[in-house]
Amino acid sequence: MREGLIKMKILDVFKYAWGGIRVRKIRTFLTTLGVIIGITGIVALLSLGEGFRIEMTSQFEQGFALNTLTVTPGGGFMGFGGGDDGLDLYVNDTETINEVEGVNIALAIISKQVNISSNNNPRTVSLVGVNFTQYSEIYGSTFLAENGSIPFSPANDTIILGAGIADPWNNGTLFASVGDQINITWAKGYILNPIITSYIANVSAVLKEIGGFGMGGPSDNQIYIPITTAQEFFEIDKCDQIVIQLTDSDQETIDSVTTDVETIFDDKVSVISPVSLLNTISGLFSMIELFLAGIAGIALLVAGIGIMNIMIVSVLERTREIGILKSLGMKDRNVLTIFLGEASLIGLLGAVLGIALGWGAANVISLFLSVFMGGEVGGMGGDFGMGQQQAIALSITPIVTPTILLLAFAFSMLVCILFGLYPARRASKLDPVEALRYE
Amino acid sequence: MKYVVETQDLKKNYTMGKVLVHALRGIDLKIEEGDFIAITGPSGCGKSTFLNLIGALDKPSDGKVYIDGADVSTLKGNQLANLRRKVGFVFQFFNLIQKFNARKNVELPLAIMGVNKKERRKEAEELLRIVGLGDRINHRPTELSGGEQQRVAIARAMTGNPRFLLLDEPTGNIDSKTAQGIVALLKKLNEENGITIILATHDQNITKEAKKIIHLIDGRIEQANFERGVN
Repeated sequence: MREGLIKMKILDVFKYAWGGIRVRKIRTFLTTLGVIIGITGIVALLSLGEGFRIEMTSQFEQGFALNTLTVTPGGGFMGFGGGDDGLDLYVNDTETINEVEGVNIALAIISKQVNISSNNNPRTVSLVGVNFTQYSEIYGSTFLAENGSIPFSPANDTIILGAGIADPWNNGTLFASVGDQINITWAKGYILNPIITSYIANVSAVLKEIGGFGMGGPSDNQIYIPITTAQEFFEIDKCDQIVIQLTDSDQETIDSVTTDVETIFDDKVSVISPVSLLNTISGLFSMIELFLAGIAGIALLVAGIGIMNIMIVSVLERTREIGILKSLGMKDRNVLTIFLGEASLIGLLGAVLGIALGWGAANVISLFLSVFMGGEVGGMGGDFGMGQQQAIALSITPIVTPTILLLAFAFSMLVCILFGLYPARRASKLDPVEALRYE
Repeated sequence: MKYVVETQDLKKNYTMGKVLVHALRGIDLKIEEGDFIAITGPSGCGKSTFLNLIGALDKPSDGKVYIDGADVSTLKGNQLANLRRKVGFVFQFFNLIQKFNARKNVELPLAIMGVNKKERRKEAEELLRIVGLGDRINHRPTELSGGEQQRVAIARAMTGNPRFLLLDEPTGNIDSKTAQGIVALLKKLNEENGITIILATHDQNITKEAKKIIHLIDGRIEQANFERGVN
């Protein structure tokens, strides 16, 4: 008998555990699959969520006017269902709103889809009719000219182009530039028998590129004409929304002005602050994220039960082997470690593969998102009352932070070890004599 | 003097279903270093139970077992596990780990003891040579005959210089011709290497080579034949 040497090396314990996993490849793979799916889901969602949060923050920083409110007809959420039971907003309603305490500027906006052409290149774009002076006061950081200048007492035929309209292909081939003439064509409401009107406008400025949402303000894919011209051309006094600039951006002012304006219009308009809009969106996103993460969590739980189940079977199958190990002098603790080692190796495998797959899945999802929501989808914002009709150039780059990695790793290991504990304990407590007798 | 194994009025009861079985009814035995003891008797006489007790796999219901001077009944799990390292167990059905080759099977108890890789490899190969399997080192149990598997089991039992080998029907599952080889090996180990051997068997080939024969009936020593004893 060798004296002193009675402690099995932990590396040897893990090697033994690894051997146990290796001889049951298919079983191990299937057992690990549950963990992989769970971790994939969690990593994909968390990294997308992280990417979304960072995108949102950067959007916030891009000339987002926090001290504004948007009034749209109808009482529905974000203008949904508006128009039918709501009352119409008129351009001169701004005078009434201007009286409200806390309002600095009230600005009427008329939005329409029109066709524009220069050199026979017809396109459909969103047109915005506004008072340029007030508009640039409210959105001072985004309604800025790159070329030309924004006239503050504009001629009737003035037009300002968003960066995306002037340079739609992003390759230097311009649709139009300052000084060019653009033909604006509008088909009035009837599908079968439209009344087509048109006029020629002179480009006086091209805006700086804004990028991102441009939520609640100017965007790259719009054209701007004076509101008076819009009223004349479209023959309307109604406007699509009124943007209010507040004297202050604190919650108190937002609340009091919101209430006052709603009262004026008999609760038949909806007043939205960009802050609450963003909160709603990010709240919605968090809810979806939580819901999906919950599903991934359930997948992991099911995986854990699967691990427990398989390991109980495995312990039963290997009863005799455990008896042999014990007769050779292996301690209960080492038997426990072998089975926990097998469980944690499954956890490790699941975590590594899950993280890799999750990262891949997040990238595929973000690719889909950018295909569906990015590019020149001009109509997206229109009916939602999200500012003017504008593109949501939403591109989420999934970000795998060390926290996410650690979380996924820890969660995987935790589930595996937790559910492996009972079978492993059962194995370690086996009576050697009975275990050796087991057929 | 200190005996390798000493039992005093050793009793073991267990329940089989609802029936209480008195497997051992009081065994007094002293085994000295260098002994070659064969325990015989009909099935159910308590041979295996006795081996389990003196191999520290089981605890007595009453009486005492001393293994290398240590009282088994006072020991707890880990100490019991350590005590098992002083015993080399060989089973009727070999009980090799199927996924391991011969060398790894022999190395296993050394790994459990914490011997480093290089040393245990050397010792395993040496022991496999001693039992006559120097050319079968990398074969798995499924690639070995019954006799060869039992030799691997014996080599495994000899790792780490145990105080004695404990063999339960070592030839019970192999043909008589192969069994003769095993018997010769055991005799050689006892005589040349001075290894203490205690075994339970029905095999006349073995009993005639043993130095002492203990005949068990109904959990008692019916007859202890020490005539052959030379110590």
